Amino acid sequence: MALDIYKINPEFRDIMPQEIIDLEEKATWSVKMEKARGIKELPQSKELLEEHSLCAGCPEAAALRYVLSALPVPEETVIVNSTGCTSLMFPHIALHTVHSLFGNQNAVASGIKRVLEWRFPDKQKDVVVLAGDGATVDIGLDYTLQSFFRQEKITTICFDNEVYANTGGQESGMTAKGQVFKMAPTGKKFEKVPMWELAKTSGCHYSVNLTASAPKQVAKVVREAILIAREIGPTYINLYTPCILEIGLSANEGLGEMKDQDKGRFEFYKHVSPEAEAYLAKCKEEGLL
Amino acid sequence: MYYVAKVDSDKCADYKCNMCTLYCPEANTLMFDKENNTSWVDEDRCKGCALCVYVCTDLLDRSCITMEMAQAAGE
Repeated sequence: MALDIYKINPEFRDIMPQEIIDLEEKATWSVKMEKARGIKELPQSKELLEEHSLCAGCPEAAALRYVLSALPVPEETVIVNSTGCTSLMFPHIALHTVHSLFGNQNAVASGIKRVLEWRFPDKQKDVVVLAGDGATVDIGLDYTLQSFFRQEKITTICFDNEVYANTGGQESGMTAKGQVFKMAPTGKKFEKVPMWELAKTSGCHYSVNLTASAPKQVAKVVREAILIAREIGPTYINLYTPCILEIGLSANEGLGEMKDQDKGRFEFYKHVSPEAEAYLAKCKEEGLL
Repeated sequence: MYYVAKVDSDKCADYKCNMCTLYCPEANTLMFDKENNTSWVDEDRCKGCALCVYVCTDLLDRSCITMEMAQAAGE
């Protein structure tokens, strides 16, 4: 049982930090829960994320909390990540995480998923890719789209902050037209890549574009995407988490920016293929959603 | 010295809306106490972004959270 690796050796229990003990006792591990776990337990339980090093008020950190709270079975989930602001958080997550080369995340995840299916044929293992827009759409566009073409059963979540944020603000493929950054002073001359539409064209069964302004909606979308990836095929979520530092906002203005973009570039878009829709209806009957 | 969020428990208990706990970007920092029906802040973990104040005051017009100067132990 995968949960066993989170159990503390009784000999060492008295010297363990309280956070580690809480993780074993109070975290919402799926096998300990009577009902499906979800975002509603977030305010009272121990989270799977611990004291991350992102900026104060970073919307990406909030989005990661929602994503982790929405994983159906965290102890059987492998998260693949890539270079970027997101990779700063992964050492603080209490799950299996694999750090791939910049852009390789979907290729690495494909391999992991195939091996897990072969090694544990009787167990449902989820493989989730969490990466920034630079890794997903610029440097790793080839690997991302190829994994969709091959119909790999993985969930790809792109934290789209529209900029290479932790290297000082260079423009990325996801940057909006005309946007000026510190390292892109002339402004972007092309349109933003509509990655959620590319994902649909490339064979994703579930493709969503949204902002992280509504926690419950983010959790619902992540849950649906992971369930579809188990049975049907690849799923893609484009999640707007603005870099408040690079677009010049204060720490408490990230949420307002996301709410503005709910009506702008990140108007809710959702594509669900017919077979995925039928599967979701089945999941709802079984109480997985 | 820096500012951390502080919840006015008496006011908060009237609403028990839980919204600030969801929007806080820090893990296990703004928590909800089910017995007293109020949110509370782990001050050692609070980075002082004041997002909870934006949610509580600007979005919901409830004004239960304020930013206050953190006190060192023993002060």
